[in-house]
Amino acid sequence: MAHPLISVKNLDLYFGAFHALKDVSVDFDAGELVGLVGDNGAGKTTLIRVLCGIHKPTKGEVWFDGARVKEFHPKLAIDNGIETIQQSVGLCDNLSIARNFYLGREPVKKILGIPFLDFAKMRGESRKVIREFGLRDNVSADDEVERLSGGERQSVKIGRAVEFMNRVVIMDEPTNHLSVREREHVNELAVQLKEQGLLVIYITHDIFQVHKLADRIVIMENGEKVADAKTTDMTAEELEEVIRQGGRKVEKRGAA
Amino acid sequence: MKHLVKGQGFGAVIGVVLMLAVFSLIDASGWWTAQTMSNVIHYTAILGILAMGQALVIMTKEIDLSVGSVYGLAGIAFIMLQPALGVAGAILAALMIAAAIGVLQGYAVVRGGLPSMIVTLGGLFTVRGIIYVWTGGSVKAFPEEARNAFVTRLFGGEILGLEAAVFWMLAVAAMLNLVLWATRFGNHVLATGGSAESADSRGVLTGRVKIVTFMLCSVLAGFAGILTLADQPQTHVTIGDLMELEAISAAVIGGCLLSGGRGSLTGAVLGAFIITSFRYELIALGAPSSWFITFVGVVLIVAVIFNQKLARMAGHSV
Repeated sequence: MAHPLISVKNLDLYFGAFHALKDVSVDFDAGELVGLVGDNGAGKTTLIRVLCGIHKPTKGEVWFDGARVKEFHPKLAIDNGIETIQQSVGLCDNLSIARNFYLGREPVKKILGIPFLDFAKMRGESRKVIREFGLRDNVSADDEVERLSGGERQSVKIGRAVEFMNRVVIMDEPTNHLSVREREHVNELAVQLKEQGLLVIYITHDIFQVHKLADRIVIMENGEKVADAKTTDMTAEELEEVIRQGGRKVEKRGAA
Repeated sequence: MKHLVKGQGFGAVIGVVLMLAVFSLIDASGWWTAQTMSNVIHYTAILGILAMGQALVIMTKEIDLSVGSVYGLAGIAFIMLQPALGVAGAILAALMIAAAIGVLQGYAVVRGGLPSMIVTLGGLFTVRGIIYVWTGGSVKAFPEEARNAFVTRLFGGEILGLEAAVFWMLAVAAMLNLVLWATRFGNHVLATGGSAESADSRGVLTGRVKIVTFMLCSVLAGFAGILTLADQPQTHVTIGDLMELEAISAAVIGGCLLSGGRGSLTGAVLGAFIITSFRYELIALGAPSSWFITFVGVVLIVAVIFNQKLARMAGHSV
């Protein structure tokens, strides 16, 4: 591969006086599942929010697929095929699954020249996906998202990420508040996405859980990247030790 | 019908049925008369248009307190600008003034990050002030030829024995329902009210959605003002006073939740019908008209409680 899919170079981000990201540099390749680990306030979510266009970095560069990113807006990130799956954000409770599924890129069908929502397509496609991603049989595409369990919500978001041919799927604490079975299901989906050639960035507190899935682990601490290692090079216990000590930098990315 | 039962407007349907039954029982002679009906239907059409605009804004989780003043200003602009611009020109100009007010307020709410309650309260006073200054507190009326002009009759006359406003309201209702439930913009309105954060994360430009709904709300208020003054082309400075509260009440009685994302345009019109009916039933009963506001207040509170119960029964978390 000539260049990484996403390349973050010397990124700094301030919120007022608060230094949220400190000189962060990290590369992500397609077909890779990267675990992004760290405590609360470590800067994981902030970093991700830069990648999905919510925050604009104060200093530094972000490169996507060989081109420098100049504008930061959620819509641009989505148009580039970067999908973020967040625990509490992404679905509107008051809308049906079908409407949520296509939110922001609704298909339209022209009737008398007026673009109306293409309900047949919205229902058909989202019905297919919710079955594939294991929602209850009695849930229909017309049901409001409000009816769904936590795991089902995640499934809808992941299904949506797959459906739109994305290149990057960022999962922010995707298994919080999920039952054991639902958690396994979500993790299987993450691996599936990677195997389809997508870049998957998996954010979590739980180093042991993500170590089993990931190809590489990036650890953040106080807004800095403190470790970046292949899971074959470092065990979960070793990585946990890094987090515990906080600050000791480790770089083991092979011949990068 | 199925949509209505599932939707937010169902409470208003029950309300209308109950109200008609009660009014028929206590006062069949005064209520079911051509005069009362004609007044009720005419004013329902006017208030219904305001209420639908308000409903759209409430569905995005904002509120517009300025509609009564905008209704008045557009009506007055229609009369005052007619000598210079002609009837059709004056209508266009009045609607543009209304649109501009809506955009300005929307812009202040979105870009300024200000609560719409305050911004539009400011709008209410500012616009009412402009009405006083512009008319100088005096009464202005259309000259005879403008009164009889085709365009004036088109908006203020009668069609098939019914006030033209009724047909305009039905046309607006049909159009807005299609826009809200069957277009991308409509989906974005509902999403913005349901969860602006989630909508944003999907690339929906929620700020723009809000500005457009504020504009629509103002234009509809202005249009209602024009319909009123085309029927009786005479200005007075208090026109539209307190109408914002009637419009909000109608939207809420019609099932709009102030928590955003849920509501019904048809319900808003039914809400307008309920409020209007109380007004004219009190008149028919010979009760002092000052009781009207009290009744609206009581109906509003009862409706909110009732609609919330209905929403919870439907399994919504409100």
